[in-house]
Amino acid sequence: MRPKILTVDDSKTVRIIVRKAFKAFDCEISEAANGVEGLAIAAKEPPDLILLDVTMPVMDGVEMLTKLKADPVLKGIPVMMLTAEGGREHVLKIAKIGVRDYIVKPFKEDLLVEKAGRIIDLKPLADGPSRIRSVDDPVEILVVEDKAAIVQQLKDGLKHTPWKIRGVPTQGEAIDSCSRQPPDLILISLSLPDESAFSLFRSIRTNVRSKHTPVFALVVKTETAMQSQAQQLGFTAIVTKPIDLTELESKAARAMNLDTSTRYFRTDDDCLVLTLPENCSAGVLAEAAQYLQPKLTEAVDAGRNKVIVDLGLLRTLHMGVIRLLVQAVQTCRDLAVNHSLVGTAQIIAECKGFEETRSWHFYLSIADAKAALGKANSEGAAPQLANAG
Amino acid sequence: MPATQEISELLIRENINRAVADVFKTMLGRPVEMRAIDQREPQLWPPLPPPPEQGAPHLVGTVGFLGDINGLIYLYLEVSFANLCTARLLGMEVGSPALTEEAVNDAIGELTNMIVGVFKNGLCDSGYSCKLTIPSIVRGRNFCIGPVSSAQRHIYAFESQGHRVVADILMKNED
Repeated sequence: MRPKILTVDDSKTVRIIVRKAFKAFDCEISEAANGVEGLAIAAKEPPDLILLDVTMPVMDGVEMLTKLKADPVLKGIPVMMLTAEGGREHVLKIAKIGVRDYIVKPFKEDLLVEKAGRIIDLKPLADGPSRIRSVDDPVEILVVEDKAAIVQQLKDGLKHTPWKIRGVPTQGEAIDSCSRQPPDLILISLSLPDESAFSLFRSIRTNVRSKHTPVFALVVKTETAMQSQAQQLGFTAIVTKPIDLTELESKAARAMNLDTSTRYFRTDDDCLVLTLPENCSAGVLAEAAQYLQPKLTEAVDAGRNKVIVDLGLLRTLHMGVIRLLVQAVQTCRDLAVNHSLVGTAQIIAECKGFEETRSWHFYLSIADAKAALGKANSEGAAPQLANAG
Repeated sequence: MPATQEISELLIRENINRAVADVFKTMLGRPVEMRAIDQREPQLWPPLPPPPEQGAPHLVGTVGFLGDINGLIYLYLEVSFANLCTARLLGMEVGSPALTEEAVNDAIGELTNMIVGVFKNGLCDSGYSCKLTIPSIVRGRNFCIGPVSSAQRHIYAFESQGHRVVADILMKNED
């Protein structure tokens, strides 16, 4: 649910500045030019936060605040003063009526957002029209690590991705970097001096711009006390050193909510091609399996009713792969889609050794598989054609 | 209640200097410097008469303060600079059609409100409790605003990257 902010100020300029300040966040702003309008809007649709000026015509902010706090329905709405009235006496008097915070004008928009973010849950809006980002999109990863070798290892290990890895050695530089432009993922080494990794994590979580950014802890495998401390604090994931880069890449993609289907699925003319990689770990198989139904459905919806399962890169067959293949074949049948299999001589031979795959027919190239599927379609053959032994 | 006469010129100068600098830096991201006023300068208008024959159109924001001490501050800007400040404040281009006369009046009213707020908060914290009034705006050329004879008047000029801002402070003496 989008948080609602009500700004009550007789100056249209201030109301515009407030809108501008929260433009990058998923929230709803309503406006009132005085206390009477403010109370009416608050009663009609209670906001999650009221930003209140003091000096206004018709009804000033102090009177509105007093009436708000006397109303049993509205008194719980948090109020933050945003006013040029900043003398100590005035501030104390208003604070006694009950406000959550007090900003004296002039004010920086960042300060307003930061203080509001401590009261309501502000989430940054995605840039541009909302689109699920893919694993092929560039993302920014900030690595807070004082050991240059680790940063280099990450850069080298992930250089096949379009991800931009930026290393900073200290907490201060990380905070500066996050406040300028929060990255898509932050990796913090727990071995930073003076336990600064944990204070950095807290600082990231209190900054409204980065509080939803996934944060991974980098830690030596045997440092179990540190790992549990990181888990208790709420780190998104723990990555142990020495770093398994395949595992890290997979965890990072999940944490950043990236669509990884392009790793396995592509379209080739009027065919959807599912390609399994050389090494199919449990993680890889689980990732590919989660896209099976949606990708095949999407293909059928788009008028593609041919599927090729390509095992040309696969090094060896095992039960995990067989389960995925059986699931893929069954999904094709359910959707009445023609499908065919492509494999190497070794994989074809290995298939003969399993009950589930013994009768499967393979082609040696995608071109052959496509030709067979094209023929089957023109002859109106049954979808299972390419499966025939 | 402290008398207006007790407030030193130094306190007034320091407060207005801090107020203008703070508001310009925070809200407009512009540096501003107080500069000495030479009474013989022909461009002293506004606020002092006589206005030049073809004076540039000016916009004057006014906000008062009432309490242990009473007074008001006029903030003078050329209209072209007022447009520039408004555009900056609202995050718009100078030529934007949204930059109407009404929008500029409101923005300069708010800028004046903030400056007078910082000024009078300084006075409050020095023991002169007072509250702000609602802003008002005057626009035009070839005019001058005169004080009543019982008011103390302090005029300070500022410069921000080639643009002049004048703060005219009127404080009423105790009856």
